[in-house]
Amino acid sequence: MHPVRKQRLIFVLFIITAASTAVALMSYALRQNINLFFAPSQIVAGEAPVGVRIRVGGMVVEDSFKRAADSLDASFVLTDGPGQTRVYFSGILPDLFAEGEAAVAAGVLAEDGSFMASEVLAKHDENYTPPEVADAMKKAHEANQ
Amino acid sequence: MASFYQWFHRMGSPRWFYEKSGRWLPWLAAAAFLLIGTGLIWGLVFAPEDARQGNSFRIIYIHVPAAFLALAGYYVMAVAGAIGLIWKMKLADMVMKSAAPLGAALTFVALFTGAVWGKPTWGTYWVWDARITSMLVLLFLYLGVMALQHAYNSLDTAARASALLALVGTVNIPIIYKSVDWWYTLHQPATIKLTGAPSMHPDMFRPLLLMILGFYAFYALVLILNTRAEILHRERRTGWVQSLSE
Amino acid sequence: MPSTANRTNRSAAGQGTGFGAILIRDLLIAFRHRGEMANPLIFFVMVGTLIPLAVGPDPDRLSQLAAGIIWVMALLASLLSIDGLFHSDFEDGSLEQLLVCPKPLWLLVLAKILAHWLVTGLPLTLFSPVLGLMLSLPAKGYGTLVLGLALGTAALSLIGAIGAALTVAIRKGGLLLSLIVMPLYMPVLIFGASSVQQAVQGVSASGTLAILGALLAFSLLLAPFASAGALKVGFNG
Repeated sequence: MHPVRKQRLIFVLFIITAASTAVALMSYALRQNINLFFAPSQIVAGEAPVGVRIRVGGMVVEDSFKRAADSLDASFVLTDGPGQTRVYFSGILPDLFAEGEAAVAAGVLAEDGSFMASEVLAKHDENYTPPEVADAMKKAHEANQ
Repeated sequence: MASFYQWFHRMGSPRWFYEKSGRWLPWLAAAAFLLIGTGLIWGLVFAPEDARQGNSFRIIYIHVPAAFLALAGYYVMAVAGAIGLIWKMKLADMVMKSAAPLGAALTFVALFTGAVWGKPTWGTYWVWDARITSMLVLLFLYLGVMALQHAYNSLDTAARASALLALVGTVNIPIIYKSVDWWYTLHQPATIKLTGAPSMHPDMFRPLLLMILGFYAFYALVLILNTRAEILHRERRTGWVQSLSE
Repeated sequence: MPSTANRTNRSAAGQGTGFGAILIRDLLIAFRHRGEMANPLIFFVMVGTLIPLAVGPDPDRLSQLAAGIIWVMALLASLLSIDGLFHSDFEDGSLEQLLVCPKPLWLLVLAKILAHWLVTGLPLTLFSPVLGLMLSLPAKGYGTLVLGLALGTAALSLIGAIGAALTVAIRKGGLLLSLIVMPLYMPVLIFGASSVQQAVQGVSASGTLAILGALLAFSLLLAPFASAGALKVGFNG
């Protein structure tokens, strides 16, 4: 083959191979739940690993918030529609935390399906639902229909 | 098309740009002053307090425009660098060189105001979350470009090498942003979305819009001033510059 | 046009693209300077010794930090060695020969990067389990650590080559090189360290490793061309 054409061929093959590898690996990675974020319905369905640090996101159910009288222990229920998970947390909740609003809890799932949070994050804008939560709710909604 | 190329090439002449831009400066300065002045007074005095954050949210009127321009400024720098690389246009090199410190300063302002805002809102000056960390990386990218600019003695090499670095950075910014975003998400969500209605109350949003426009005008003003200074410095031995001082 | 074609034709005839020649040459040079080859490894182990001295010998705490520390050290070791990628060739003038040679420069650069990875990144990868032991990394993490480092150090070598090419003509460019390259290293570090952490926690790290692989493929797309361009810029100026 003509050397110049051969060089061009190598160039084109190289680009195609590298680009398609990158795309294939990315699409594989995106199908995995790599940031370990779960919706309550996924936890109910047993998709989340037990004993590993994961994150759960959803809306705080109205009237589900309980606080112990003599300590900082608190618990509340997160929901994404079909599923509900009770979250236990000990500590000071962020100011923006409220019932009926979105919250994300990071912690460990116990065997009985309750969630032991070591950190609770609330989102500050009323109109806002964290994209992960919105996604999870949409998916759960679609699955319901 | 032909007239466009003519315009494009004339734009490449530092002298032409210097003369032309002198006429834009008063307008830009007036626009920047009016927009920022109105925006500041409106935002700091007349806009309602935020229901949850109280008055501390008002720092948004500096923080968000600075962050906007810091990111946009990187693309201005990279595009100028690309034009300089491809068409070997000297003016683009100078614009690029002027854009780097300006962008770095705006990034720093965004980081600093973010830290000040973080104290009352999150209870801490610094949080390792996605957007703050990405801004910090952006500052590093700016500093890298500036450092490379100063490392070369030859102006042409400096311009081309830093343009290449800026372009590599441009390709990397989305990747860095995505990976940092994945790494940790805590920051409040984007309040201004390009699509859909902003989730801020209009009374709070309008002054912010004014401030963003004002910052754009201010950015253009400072960039042109910087570039003019760079032109004078580089062309100091040419006849037309020397005739300016006479 | 015909004259260029002729010239290319003559010099490229029978010698392939020059990829193999450069690869073998660089490996030979590295082999003849075996002492230098060990330096990044020694650095890697020494910093591994410093950490317990600073943090304390408590195995629980060390095992929590191990994944992150090993990755940061691998990154630093790679950063230290990448400075030399083009340097000796620049000093003895052979880099200039590569630039004027009619072969595709990006392939020659790629060969140099591959050789560099074979003599620094690969030994680092193979040596990392020892460091894992020193820092009491839990047993579940080793497979992912080695696989992740193999992919990651290759990506680091590629990205670092851009910085090395940009700073090769600058005297004392070493510090500047780290300044330029470190922000670009961050995605690799993030996914590399978290893949090990995921494996340690007993979660499948395949997704994260796939992203590391994608980063490697992406840097393969970008780095050889960007470094070749940067070398040309440095010389023409």
